[in-house]
Amino acid sequence: MAMNDKSLSRRRFLRLAAAGLGAAGAAGVLAACGGAASGDKPAAEAPAEGNKVVVDLTFWWWDGNGQIWADAYNKLNRGAKVTFVNTPFADSHDKLLTSFASGSGAPDIASLEIGRVGGFTAKGGLADLKAAPFDGGKYEKDMVKYKWTQGSTADGRLVAMPWDIGPAGVWYRTDIMEKLGLPTEPEAIEELISHTKGKKWEDFFAFAQTVKEKSGGKVKLVSDAGTDVYGGALRQGGEGYFDGMKVLIEEKATRPAQLAADFRKQELDANIGWWGADWAAGVKNDAFAAMVIACWMQGGLTKDQPQTIGKWRVVPAPEASYNWGGSFCAIPEQGKNIEMAWDFVQWACCSAEGQNAMFKPTGVFPAYKPAWADPLYDEPQDFFGGQRAFRTWANIADNVASISRSPYDLQADDIVNAEMAKVLKEGKDPVQAMKDAESAALKAIEGATP
Amino acid sequence: MASSTFSTAERALQDRRTRQKEVKRNAWAYVFVSPFYLLYAIFGFFPLVYGLWLSLHTWDGISPMVFVGFNNYIKLITVDELWWQAIYNTIWLFVVATIPQLSLALSLAFIINSGYVRFKDFFRAAYFMPFVASAVAVGILFTSLFGSQYGMINFVFTATGLAKYFGTEAGECYKWAFMSNNMGCVIDWLQSALWLKPSIALIIIWQWTGYSMIIFLAGLQSINLELYEAARVDGASTWDIFVKITMPLMQGVILFQVVTSIIGAMQNFDIPVMLAGGTQSSAPGGTDHAGLTAMMQLYWSAFKYNTGSKSGFGYASAMSFILFLIIVVFSFTYNRANGQNPTEN
Repeated sequence: MAMNDKSLSRRRFLRLAAAGLGAAGAAGVLAACGGAASGDKPAAEAPAEGNKVVVDLTFWWWDGNGQIWADAYNKLNRGAKVTFVNTPFADSHDKLLTSFASGSGAPDIASLEIGRVGGFTAKGGLADLKAAPFDGGKYEKDMVKYKWTQGSTADGRLVAMPWDIGPAGVWYRTDIMEKLGLPTEPEAIEELISHTKGKKWEDFFAFAQTVKEKSGGKVKLVSDAGTDVYGGALRQGGEGYFDGMKVLIEEKATRPAQLAADFRKQELDANIGWWGADWAAGVKNDAFAAMVIACWMQGGLTKDQPQTIGKWRVVPAPEASYNWGGSFCAIPEQGKNIEMAWDFVQWACCSAEGQNAMFKPTGVFPAYKPAWADPLYDEPQDFFGGQRAFRTWANIADNVASISRSPYDLQADDIVNAEMAKVLKEGKDPVQAMKDAESAALKAIEGATP
Repeated sequence: MASSTFSTAERALQDRRTRQKEVKRNAWAYVFVSPFYLLYAIFGFFPLVYGLWLSLHTWDGISPMVFVGFNNYIKLITVDELWWQAIYNTIWLFVVATIPQLSLALSLAFIINSGYVRFKDFFRAAYFMPFVASAVAVGILFTSLFGSQYGMINFVFTATGLAKYFGTEAGECYKWAFMSNNMGCVIDWLQSALWLKPSIALIIIWQWTGYSMIIFLAGLQSINLELYEAARVDGASTWDIFVKITMPLMQGVILFQVVTSIIGAMQNFDIPVMLAGGTQSSAPGGTDHAGLTAMMQLYWSAFKYNTGSKSGFGYASAMSFILFLIIVVFSFTYNRANGQNPTEN
């Protein structure tokens, strides 16, 4: 009897599955034939919760922490259920592009990184958040200014809503400083290297020399001159290598490249490239005492290097404050529920509640300025050993050079990075290297002007 | 002779009739084989033709396509140095990784197939294992092995004292090595232009030898043992048997392996991307673009640099057809060079 039941249900299951497959196939073919046609399905099909209609939204981001937003938003029952999909960084952008090219497959809410946003504002596919049914224009005054410009197209449409910015500074480890007999308090370190106390990169070099000497060469101040020195110094002149079609590589990158080359030549860095297994091992083995990077590093360190929690402190960078990275929220035009997607974007990116829900655990710093008024920003942070680091970030964020973004950024980045590798790994003259990078960019990017 | 022309026409008509009848009689058979052809038309043939069409255009994926004729090809062939460097790297990896990999696989297969080895199944499984690993897992594993400062391989060099030959007695490291904080002179596997390609080649050999070996083994097992016995009776050595019996009889399997390997090597992508895919602070392909393969450059052009007329989907499609041509030329050349089959003489 039991056997019989099972076989029956199995047969039924197979039949249902076959029907389902057929239907899915048919729907797929229809979608392929006319992407728009399937877009006007009535929302009535969606499951109702209470007397509210709930629609499903998908949200792509390249960081597992996206779940934080999905959970917090879904708890509010605003009429949509957000499913977060952790898409690898490359996929988040490349897949989005393919979904535009093919007319389907985009998420309801997409994330765009600052380095890639220029490539999207220059094209179609993303909804204008200032045009009906959206009313995004009202948030302009609340957003960090340059960020708003980056998310806008040349003809003034807003296709990417500012999400976070990356105020950057010098992070250092108190445990290593203490071991080397160096000061551990942020006020004392700030005196030594921060621009707020009038210090320049030269002072940073001197401090790096002290760390090297005190440790007998075993500990260096930072891991990699290419990221910690070049990455910082370049962005102090404003991120991005283009002004319209004018290539600014030689103008902007020569001095930062010289600084990094000097730093490496004097063996002041640990010569460990960022983002890899070696870097992670370097942190665990106390190979370097500090890093020059943006606030969003907090999320990754919390996850991958929990033993360092509480040991980090942060002070402003030498010479000037600057921004490193940051992202945008966007709504692809092909989405079926763009109104609810807009509701999510407004809650997430344009409200103190949503922004701070993400910021607090991850350090993803709001571009939405009213969020900074939250008492949270004046609380001592456990991650930073009780330092009121969030206020430090906010102060840095208020004072960064504006950033220009172009669709050619990614290519220019790769061209310059290729030359930087030659400078740091093969001792190429930095001045010549940036000359070569400029001419390579002029050659590779059609329409670029010197 | 008139009757002859009549009969030709008649026969043609009859042929057509029989053909029609045949088609009708086998109608169901055609229905049953149709899924493959339909799927092939949608996912194989259409993209192929569309790609060719695309390669004559400039297209960023969203804006309207602009017809540019053969301009993409002309640009690629005449001015794009990076593309040719990528092709060079790809061929270099084919020569240094794929050829040794195939030779090694054939030798291993021969050894395992011979009577000398016990635990054959174990070795077969063990050698095949790396092939099952996903590229990402392999990438993570080898980036830790090849780490410059904390990598296992450099650690072994230091621990065994081999590393002291990497520099002069005065403590100066040779040009191809560098000074590490905690280990003395070591090799910068993934970040120096000199070592990146050999590192990638090593991984390819490690990952693919087992797979090739299994295919070779299948080929070897189909050779009639009596041939070996007869050769032994005639006093042939193992080497003679390998060269005069095994190799000629394996010609077909080897051809299959070489051609699929050429195709695979020309499309080398995942391992180089995992090891030198470019991060926020480095360019794809690593220092001097030493690890940049043709497929990488193609992917970057299509998806990352897809603006302007020297990148985008059209430009990348043109790259893929040049790559296709190179594969055809290599495969054809090998086939030709292999034309004189010793068993046929």
